[in-house]
This record gives sequence, C-alpha cells and structure tokens, in this order.
Amino acid sequence: MITSMERLRAAVNGTPADRIPVFCNLLDQGAKELGLDLESYYTSGEHVAEAQLRMLRKYGHDNVWSLFYVGKEAELLGCKQILFASEGPPNVLDFVIRTLEDIDALEVPERLEEHPAFTEQTRCFEILRHEIGGTVPICSYISSSMTIPAMLMGMERWLELLLLGPVEKRDLLIAKCHEFFVREVQACRAAGADIIVYANPFGSTDFVPMNIFTSLSLPWIIRDIQAIGPAGVVYYCGMARMNDVIATVREQTGLGAYYVSPLDDLAEAKQMIGTQGLTCGVINDIRLIEWTPDEIRQEVKRMMATGMPGGHFLFGTGVMPYCIPEANIRTMLDAAYEYGQWLH
Amino acid sequence: MIDRVLTAFNEAIFDTDRERALRVIREAEQEGIPPEDIVFKVVVPSIHIMMKSTSERRTPSIAQHFVAAQIASEVTETMVSRFARSPEIIGRVVIGTSVGDMHGLGKRIVSGCLKALMIEVIDLGLNVPAERFVDEAVAQNADVIGVSSMMVHTARGPSAALGVRKILKDRALERRIKLAVGGAPYRFDHDLYRTVGADAWAEDGIIAGTVISALIKEARQ
Repeated sequence: MITSMERLRAAVNGTPADRIPVFCNLLDQGAKELGLDLESYYTSGEHVAEAQLRMLRKYGHDNVWSLFYVGKEAELLGCKQILFASEGPPNVLDFVIRTLEDIDALEVPERLEEHPAFTEQTRCFEILRHEIGGTVPICSYISSSMTIPAMLMGMERWLELLLLGPVEKRDLLIAKCHEFFVREVQACRAAGADIIVYANPFGSTDFVPMNIFTSLSLPWIIRDIQAIGPAGVVYYCGMARMNDVIATVREQTGLGAYYVSPLDDLAEAKQMIGTQGLTCGVINDIRLIEWTPDEIRQEVKRMMATGMPGGHFLFGTGVMPYCIPEANIRTMLDAAYEYGQWLH
Repeated sequence: MIDRVLTAFNEAIFDTDRERALRVIREAEQEGIPPEDIVFKVVVPSIHIMMKSTSERRTPSIAQHFVAAQIASEVTETMVSRFARSPEIIGRVVIGTSVGDMHGLGKRIVSGCLKALMIEVIDLGLNVPAERFVDEAVAQNADVIGVSSMMVHTARGPSAALGVRKILKDRALERRIKLAVGGAPYRFDHDLYRTVGADAWAEDGIIAGTVISALIKEARQ
C-alpha cells in the first residue's frame, strides 16, 4: 500500500499514485481529541504527538505537525507570557521588543535544541519519528526573517519600523531574526522535519506593495532560502495571496512548492507553477464552519477539477479553525479522497 | 495648484514614502494653501482615491493603507490646530480589538483614516471586553462601536461582537449605537458580520471610513 510520503513524492515528481496528497492542518483540535483544555494540551510534546497520531488514524490525511502554536517562536526569543484561549490559537501577550534599544539587546539562542521552550517540541518529534517517520510527512512551520519581528514587537509597531525606520534598527532586527530562522530550521530538520512551511505574509503583495516586495522582502527571501536550501520547503504567505510573486520567487530562489491562498485564482497559480513544481490548492476553511455538506463537496470538486489536470497538485487546508464541526472535516476529507483519485 | 499637490501627495502615499508625503504638505503650506484646503482638498480626497482603488480591485496593500492612515492622521491633527474655525466633528466612534485579540494594526489604520474624515476616535486598545465597548460608547456618547478581530475565535466568540450586540439589545441602545466589525476572518466569509450581529463590516481599514461614516448617519437619523 502506498504511503503518504510516497504519495507526496509522486505529486512532486509527477509520477503515478492512487490519489493526490491531502494535507489537513489540525492543531488546536488535538486538545479536543485528548479531552484537554488548550493550555494544558500545549504543555507537553507527548500530548501534541499523541493527538497528531490519533487524528491521522481518525481522518487518514497525509501529514502531521510538529507545530504547537506560532507564538512558540517568540518564546524561544524570550517571550514570557502567552495568552491562551478556550477555542483558538494562543496569542503572544508579552512583547520582547518594547523599545528600539531592545533590538540591540535581543539575543538569538546558540543551540535551540537545548532551549527549554524547544524541549517539548523535541519530544513531539521523537514520538512522531518513531511512529510514522518516513511514511507520513512531518511538517514544521517556520516564520520568515521578516515575519518573526511581528511576534516580538506586535505587527503594528513592526510595520511602523519596517516602513518608517530607523532603517539601521530595522535591518539589525531582520538580520537577527534571519539568524534565528536558520537555526530553527536546522533544529527542526535535525529533529525530524520533512517539510518546512516557510511562512511569510511579507512575501505577498496583499501585505506590502510590489516596490517594497522587490526592494526588501525578496532579498530577505533569497537569503532565507539560500541559507536552508529550497528542498522540502513550501512557500506560504499566511493565507494572503501570492500569484503576483510566484514567478519571481521561483526564479530567484528555486522554490518548487506553493501553498496558494484561497483568495488566489487557483487556475492561474497552477498555470504558473505547472509541472516544474507543486501547486497546493487551499480550501477556504473559515467557510467550512457553516458550509452544508453539499457546498463542501462542490467546493472540493471545483478545486480538484482546477488543480489536478497535469498532476503536481496537493489539496490542503489553512490552519483549521477550532470550531469547524467534525462532520464537516470528514465531509471535506471524504470529498478530497474521492475527487482526488487518479483513474488509471 | 491644489490638483498638483493632491497628485504628488497621493503618489508618495502609494509609494509608502512618508518623508516625501510630508514634504509635499510643507511645500503646499509655503505656497500659501490654507490648512483647511490641505485637509479637505488633499488629505481627504487621497483617502477617497485609495478607497476607489480598493473597490476597483487594484487593491492597495496593508502597508499602503497603514502609511496612508498614519500620514492622514498626522497631517490632519497638525492642520486642524491651524484652522480659522474648529471643524465640525461628524461623529464619534469607540474602537478596539475583541477579547483575546492582541492584533492592533487594523484598528490603527481605521483610526487614522477616521480622524482625517473628522470622526472622533476613542481607542480602547487591545483585548477589550464587550461590556467595556458599550460602557465607553455610552459614556462618550459615541455613534458607532468598532470591533476588530484577527482570528476566527476572537471574531466569533461570545464576548466579541456577539456580546456587544447582546448588551446593546438588553439596554435598548441598538437604534442609537451601531456596530461595525473588521479583520481577517471577515475577508474569508463575507456573511460572518451578520452571524456576529454587526450592522456592517469593512474589507479593510480604508473602506472602514466609508462604512462607519454611513453608520454614523444612520445612528443620527
């Protein structure tokens, strides 16, 4: 029987498989699975790994996550307070950078794997690797050099610094975050990550205009990707659109896989990426909360009809909201398995 | 002459070039353009041009909205202090992010834009409970409550817009105080504003200027 890893490789290489790979990004749902509140759930790598494995068995999709919550990156850089919610992802409550001087003082941990905030993630990787290593892709979510500052000082103040300066402080902060980014990728790969989801809203022209993308975002994207290599890396703009930049990013970095926004024109993305890479079509999972089963099936069918011709296609979700009814998750996945089959 | 100033100011804003935009305003002042014209014939039209761009799907980025709102607010504040007569405030808004939400960017863009449109803004900050939105709106005699949420659970939660709606209803304030919402989840589900009991939503911070202006008119009818 074909494994999820083989299915993914087949999609990347354009070789035969039973169906396309289906990535379903279930994070906070793990707490529900174990009957825990989110704060207790995220204290333990064993919880996260166990829930990822349970959900994999329950739904049969093709990926698992080592990610706890995005604010973990801020914790690795000194954040002491996370605001947990009862029904959604935690928020960073304590900003590490409050003044421009804090940027000078920011220290990037030398060995992340020894950092207390990484310990539980290591445990999660160990269990996942032991149970499904090599057969199901283990995904890690890593924020880009330009994105990490938003978690350290808040998006509002980061955008102010990014756009209005002082330039030397901005560049120093991105440089430190680049150093952190590289170490985080290295640590996750060493622990067992197969796929790095390179998260970068600043790599979308929904976030910055093309002149800033070209002059600032792109050079840092190139540096980030050169430092870690493009293999196994997926370009993701945090659900913001990317069609405007796919050709440039591909040409400049060699990245092959693009996790396009539900707001992008999927047909256009597929045409640009073609058979040279992997187009990841992403369903608007916020609508999954209230869509009827028929609406869900129709949307999955539409996406498959758009993305599958010629192969090199993956069906995926965003970071699935906690409140999506389980029946709707099942309906979406059943439709993806049905319409995503290759008829030989 | 004013058209030339508007074009130059607008180009600077679209290029997210704050220094150039402020230089255009300084030069306009030196050329003798009165502060009232700078606000009402340059700053406000530039916001309308950005709104039009959004509605025509040329869609300026968040960074362009941010710079536009920031500069509009700064210039308006400086110019208003030099007006021959105090301008008429067209309405009052209390604004904040919903409980559990620490994302203040959208709120800041909206606030900057509203100030330039002569709408008074009372910013309640981040992580604001429903009761506080309503209490402050009543205390400040506001026409509109604006609730910004960047995450699904902070948009749909019972203590966010839904909670505000309930309190407005319980206290019979629905005719007097209108409720507007905005933030990422609303862009992915255009009917969500109805689900959470809001009167209107705005796709972005600049469009929020139009939406809130309309709600103020409605509240004052």
